[in-house]
Amino acid sequence: MRADNMARVAPGPWITPKPLAESTVAIVSTAGMHRRGDPPFVAGDLSYRIIPGTSDFSDLVMTHVSANFDRTAVQDDPNVAFPLDRLRELHDAGEIGGVSNWHYSFMGAMPNPSLFEEAGTEVGRLLAADGVDVALLVPI
Amino acid sequence: MPFPLGRPLGSASDAEFQRTVVRAALDLLSTQIEPGIVDFATDAPDVGEQEPWACPLNLAPATGDSFADRLGAEASRFLPWAAETRRRRGRSLFGASGAALDQQREVVQALGSVADSGNLTDAPGVGIDWAFEMPLLIRHLVDDVRTIYHEALASQPGSRAPTHDDLNDWIFDSTVLGEVIIAIADYLTAAADEQPILTFIRGFVVPEGRYRDQSSF
Repeated sequence: MRADNMARVAPGPWITPKPLAESTVAIVSTAGMHRRGDPPFVAGDLSYRIIPGTSDFSDLVMTHVSANFDRTAVQDDPNVAFPLDRLRELHDAGEIGGVSNWHYSFMGAMPNPSLFEEAGTEVGRLLAADGVDVALLVPI
Repeated sequence: MPFPLGRPLGSASDAEFQRTVVRAALDLLSTQIEPGIVDFATDAPDVGEQEPWACPLNLAPATGDSFADRLGAEASRFLPWAAETRRRRGRSLFGASGAALDQQREVVQALGSVADSGNLTDAPGVGIDWAFEMPLLIRHLVDDVRTIYHEALASQPGSRAPTHDDLNDWIFDSTVLGEVIIAIADYLTAAADEQPILTFIRGFVVPEGRYRDQSSF
């Protein structure tokens, strides 16, 4: 019912990307993950954290405020919400052209997603400037 | 994706299944001609009927006069197993509160002290440079202590891993940690008339459906 009351976000224009085997892919997550020393997410947070493509999962924590989703899977294997190793494997197999130098982490749990427009637009500019062709959006 | 909240790629530690999900998403770029929604038809491999789960530790009633003592006694049963999981995985999600990995006992002590005092304003002074101010810190103290318990269970012998519902049933029906969380939620409820924001903090601390007979929010 809460989802029914959320503001609708219109789809953007369709852009046909390069073939995947030539495309650099970045992760944009809403799992509230960040590096251990980064500022934590707080309730109503509209900002994002950058996660280097060279990150090791031992350096990441999750400060998402919601108590209503299963955290055991991420505790077991962060790839289940932030599939960095999977992208590296697809790159090694030649299925994608590259893995971005930077990935981006937001915290979801936001009743009005349109409030993310400013930060989302900024991340879009950063992705383009970094030569990223495809953003893999992973909600949690 | 037909997966439970918290596991958008379906299954932890199943690289092949996760790659299948990622490929399905990326392949839409070459098969679609306009924005749209396409269902992923395959359930995660670990979804289905399972035998009941039970914590393998026999948690005798923790003795002590305070929540801090009782929670400390209970958590001490889990700390060695949590350390084993950290060794095996080479990482931990403990530390959301700002605590270092070697400050687990202090975090347990801090959460217990909040349940004892009902102090929702002053951060517990246990020598940790907290990442949050009160009262939001409470949410992440709970998260860190739950992480100790969850990571401990991941190494204990047993027939299967507990689900999210298994864990909530166990924590809120059988553990001192559950008592502590509900006690703190009661303090938040009592103070919410003057500070309505505390109702939201309660919703961040207690999963929906676990706070007495009312909504957590």
